[in-house]
Amino acid sequence: MTNAPDNRRPRGEAQVWLTAMGLAVGIAMVSSLIGVILWNGLTVFWPKSVQEWTVGSGSDNRQVIGQVVDVRTNRPVGAAATAAVTELQVFTANKQYLGQPFGFIPAADITAVRDVPGVLVIERWKNGTLIGTPQAVSLPGAQPLSATAPGFAGAVAAGIERCTAWRAEGEHLRKHEIGALARRQEQIRLDLLRAPAGATAAIKSRFDGFQAEIERLTAQAVEIEGRMKGHELALTIGAGAQARMITIGLGEVVDLHAPNELSLVGKTGVFIGRLWSFLTADPREVNTEGGIWPAIVGTFTMTLMMSLAVVPFGVVAALYLREYARQGPVVRFVRISVNNLAGVPSIVFGVFGLGFFVYVMGASVDWLFFPGYDKPVFRTGGILWAAATLALMTVPVVIVATEEAVSAVPRGMREGSLACGASKWQTIQRIVLPAAVPGIITGAILAMARGAGEVAPLMMVGVIKFATELPLDGEWLETDLVPFVHLNQKFMHLGFHIYDLGFQSPDSDAARPMVFATTLFLILLVLVLNLGAILLRERLRRKFQSSTF
Amino acid sequence: MSAEARYTTSRLTLWVDGFMTRFIRVGGVAVIAAVFLIMIFIAAVALPLFRGATVGTPVHLPAVAGVEPAEAPMAFGIDEWGEMPFLLDRAGRLHFRSATAPGMVRTVDPQLGASVTSVVWQSYAQRLVIGTGDGRLVLLETGYAPAFADDGSRRITARPEQVGSFPIGQGHGARPIISIGYGENDQGKLAAALLGGDGKAPEVHALTFTRKRKLGGGGATVVDQDHDLTALVKGTPTKVMVDDDAESVLVLSKEGDLSYIFRDGNAFTLRQHVRPFADLADPTISSVEYVLGDVTVVLGHPSGVTRKFSLFSRPVTRPDGTIDHEPRMFWQTGEFDELPGPATAFHAAASNKSYAVASGSTLSLRHGTSTATRWEGDLGFPIAGVAIGSKYDRLVVLDRQAGLHLLPLHDPHPESGLKALFGKVWYEGQSEPIWDWQSTGGTDDFEPKLSMVPLIFGTLKATIYAMLIAVPIALLAAIYTSEFMHPRFKGVIKPTMEIMAALPSVVLGFLAALLVARLFDDRIPSILCALVLVPAVAMAIGAWWGHLPRNLRVLVKPGYEVFVMLPVLVVTVWVAWSIGPVVESVLFAGDFRAWWRNSTGLSYEQRNSLVVGVMMGFAIIPIIYTIAEDALSNVPKALRSGSLALGGSRWQTAMRVVVPTASAGIFSALMIGFGRAVGETMIVVMATGNTAIMDFNIFNGMRTLSANIATELPEAPQGGTLYRTLFLGAIILFAMTFLINTVAEVMRQRLREKYKTV
Repeated sequence: MTNAPDNRRPRGEAQVWLTAMGLAVGIAMVSSLIGVILWNGLTVFWPKSVQEWTVGSGSDNRQVIGQVVDVRTNRPVGAAATAAVTELQVFTANKQYLGQPFGFIPAADITAVRDVPGVLVIERWKNGTLIGTPQAVSLPGAQPLSATAPGFAGAVAAGIERCTAWRAEGEHLRKHEIGALARRQEQIRLDLLRAPAGATAAIKSRFDGFQAEIERLTAQAVEIEGRMKGHELALTIGAGAQARMITIGLGEVVDLHAPNELSLVGKTGVFIGRLWSFLTADPREVNTEGGIWPAIVGTFTMTLMMSLAVVPFGVVAALYLREYARQGPVVRFVRISVNNLAGVPSIVFGVFGLGFFVYVMGASVDWLFFPGYDKPVFRTGGILWAAATLALMTVPVVIVATEEAVSAVPRGMREGSLACGASKWQTIQRIVLPAAVPGIITGAILAMARGAGEVAPLMMVGVIKFATELPLDGEWLETDLVPFVHLNQKFMHLGFHIYDLGFQSPDSDAARPMVFATTLFLILLVLVLNLGAILLRERLRRKFQSSTF
Repeated sequence: MSAEARYTTSRLTLWVDGFMTRFIRVGGVAVIAAVFLIMIFIAAVALPLFRGATVGTPVHLPAVAGVEPAEAPMAFGIDEWGEMPFLLDRAGRLHFRSATAPGMVRTVDPQLGASVTSVVWQSYAQRLVIGTGDGRLVLLETGYAPAFADDGSRRITARPEQVGSFPIGQGHGARPIISIGYGENDQGKLAAALLGGDGKAPEVHALTFTRKRKLGGGGATVVDQDHDLTALVKGTPTKVMVDDDAESVLVLSKEGDLSYIFRDGNAFTLRQHVRPFADLADPTISSVEYVLGDVTVVLGHPSGVTRKFSLFSRPVTRPDGTIDHEPRMFWQTGEFDELPGPATAFHAAASNKSYAVASGSTLSLRHGTSTATRWEGDLGFPIAGVAIGSKYDRLVVLDRQAGLHLLPLHDPHPESGLKALFGKVWYEGQSEPIWDWQSTGGTDDFEPKLSMVPLIFGTLKATIYAMLIAVPIALLAAIYTSEFMHPRFKGVIKPTMEIMAALPSVVLGFLAALLVARLFDDRIPSILCALVLVPAVAMAIGAWWGHLPRNLRVLVKPGYEVFVMLPVLVVTVWVAWSIGPVVESVLFAGDFRAWWRNSTGLSYEQRNSLVVGVMMGFAIIPIIYTIAEDALSNVPKALRSGSLALGGSRWQTAMRVVVPTASAGIFSALMIGFGRAVGETMIVVMATGNTAIMDFNIFNGMRTLSANIATELPEAPQGGTLYRTLFLGAIILFAMTFLINTVAEVMRQRLREKYKTV
């Protein structure tokens, strides 16, 4: 029988292959999505070589210098597919001089391409990136140094280092010392509003005293920043007939590199440096340049506050449902409902957060603690209300996870503890909860992952596209209910940052690299949290399995 | 230590136990209650939308000396703050009353120089338009202004000022004006008057104005021309009206005709002649008044029938099939509840499309757009006049004895109501009743369109397209994973798919908007090819593989098919992508987008439902996949073994034994996926144009409930109609998802019961 040729075919093999295709499509979707984000997110920081294209031939040719960003095929509506035009999208930088930082070159018109030797890509604090060939650097008290002279790169680096230090000093003065004075002055202004008519003179003089101090410090900051004068770099920008000389102050420069001269190791160094500054710097130029530090801090603080709220409440509710409530139809209904609440759209919680936390709770807090303020303190979106909203949203997740973990504790362990004379709470505290910890932690991490990636409800309750101050720093403000944590402050969030840059940005081409980089970071954060939940659960499970008797 | 003491529990332990018992009971119930309060809170915010107006107890200000009760006042109205109503008598004197001090009256005589024979009170401009017995139009501004005393108290003062006096139709000597109309805007002014009263045939005249420039800037308005419109009017004129845009004169006749005379510069033409009650036995009209915006007129019949006619341009189909629009004319757009008799008093609100109308002793407050009766009541005395305060917070009623009755009005959401939120509404300017969402507009007299129906429709549209794409992939993948795949890979494949569920939806939304929408835009034929080719190629390979000799077939062990399919998929998609343009030029005349527009007449947008469907697929495929796979895997092994032992193939076992057993679980997987898609926000916000469209065209967008909330709530003022409407949207979303999830959960529990018996 086994050796006889089997001519009968099992039925439905073709359909089995179809189901295999279904899974293949699913896997392809995941991998292409992750691949697209990884590729686009990481190449943002890789130094791309700067090229010069000659467009057109003969006398009416022109030269374009820049970095290739994208190659796209455009087809106007109504045109046949063969009429599609392939274009290079080129980052030409020099927005200040060209009007816009991007250009399109029809691929068919290119007659010559070459790498531009010695060209610098210069990131600046203001007015966008520059691409240009350096000519000379002049530092105060020294002869201008030509770009071909030895020690040129060192002189530029030294100049930038000095200017950066002065800039930081000036910024520290402005942001911290003057900022703190301004806040105290604002408090006096509020006192002035509330003061009886006779007592205003003394308050006014205190107000003026602060004003004088602020002006003195401002002058000091201006003096420090003035030291940057005379540190200058001369460059040629543009090519061919459009080439021109410009001079920029080294104080304007954030960072520079020469992509065409770098070795692979050098490029890796630049890559790491740019990645690091992306994670640790403040955003610049309407969020399209610079870093995402405030968004990281905002996301982190908000998620942490949310977890601090959600875990105890979730655990208490789950313990009640499993250990204390009488099991019956009512509890079963409650259990199903709690389970279903995890599936209620997040935006609904955002609506509730705005209506209840901001407008009802916020108004009460303002009435209780901040009477006489002419601006709403808590009666507006802020990090506290955002955390509370997300805590409410994720509490079902924690309840369900804890309940599952608690119910998985063997009945024998409980009975053993009670038989030994432990009270109910002692049994829960010493036997049930420790055994359930892995489940609870998993629930908490899943809640954090959901909270960190959520955007829609935050848009209602306090996220903002650009926050000058972090929700957590060394300042103790008048409006702080908890010292050093500015619960009422609006904050930046990675997810909202993506929404704002990718969707609301006026120049989506300029924002694109930043969106991809932020997306990569957010996805890594969420995936690490999810993987962490899985791994932790496995590890703790093994640990507690061995410790049971 | 005695034996008893040794066995008694420490008091601290007992106390802690008792405390924790209470703490957890109270805390647990509180947390669960708080979670459920969400629904109640949101519903409570949305609830006032469905309440009608409430009118408080009237305050009666009896007639006072100085205003003769026998002489019915010509007009009366009230200031913006509702504190100082006025009455205008026949002699042209203004009697200002105080709403706070009943006995007070201040009479101002603006010296009109003639008796008042007709008057219109334009409360939005605080302007009285007066027609006098000697044939003049007099414009009188009431000059209400608040004055603040030193102690911060506010007092309303009135300084009436005559701002214009223009004779009308005095070519044959002065005749009294028995009806007057006036309108002005930035572009121009127009007045119309009905002259009569002396036994001669009535005449309709219109005045056009021009601005005469003075040296050194400024200028005075002077009469440009006096037009005799009598010949244009049908029937015996009894009333004239001018709209606020100063572009038309509406004349009512004794016989029940309405003549709509359009003005273009200095030329007047009869654009339309309509008999609003032509279908009734007695076609006469007892009253006609504008509501705010002067696009809609409310017409009353002596029997109490009340209809509204609005200006809009009807689409006309030309003989060659194209659709054209005729000029704007009045057509009936609705009927109000019937009044007990002819309307005796009328006043349109200055802040919304509501109006108050009185008939006998019945007072009724209605909304001009939704035609809903907001409030109706019998005041117990014959009503001679009614006025709505400018802030829509007070009704002032005048009785026959020149006594005033102040009624506090509370109607914060006149535009809403069950009918306006869910029914088709005939909005001004529309040629038919529609469902529409448009919460904000550019102009002052813009009326918000707050129908929930297009939003619910959009939600379902997005969900259905997402499900169409996600369900086949997710279910096929789940069946393969649980039934055919080698178990060794399950530990890797399943978490990989689940990673997709953890992706923040803002990431999917941004990819949809920035990448997928652009990628798909001019490649629709390629996508269509892929949709056909991918399953076809998979089936073909399966069939072909089954016919290969056995020694070749063993090269791919059962359970490893997916690894063959991955490269096949890549190649197939590449082929589909490449042949797309060829298909496009053969089937779709070179350009699919143009072909779609021309052949279906539907629109094509870059950010469309297809993009939303695909990206939302990423969000719901892993959910459906995981739950369906669990349900399939939990089917008892004995069933499978039995089927295989009886000679069933693996496909037969899967489809006839495993899938039917797990059907409830699969159904619940679909429901939970559906629930997730219904509430998805960021993908829809970013990947569609967010216009409230009511068609199922896959190549345009939609506006979903969640996207609507996300885009509008941050800007909506607290407690306003829009704010509450958005809360209503949230409660609908909540109810939809909660219901779907409950059904799914109950199905799942029943499945569990079923497994127990198998």
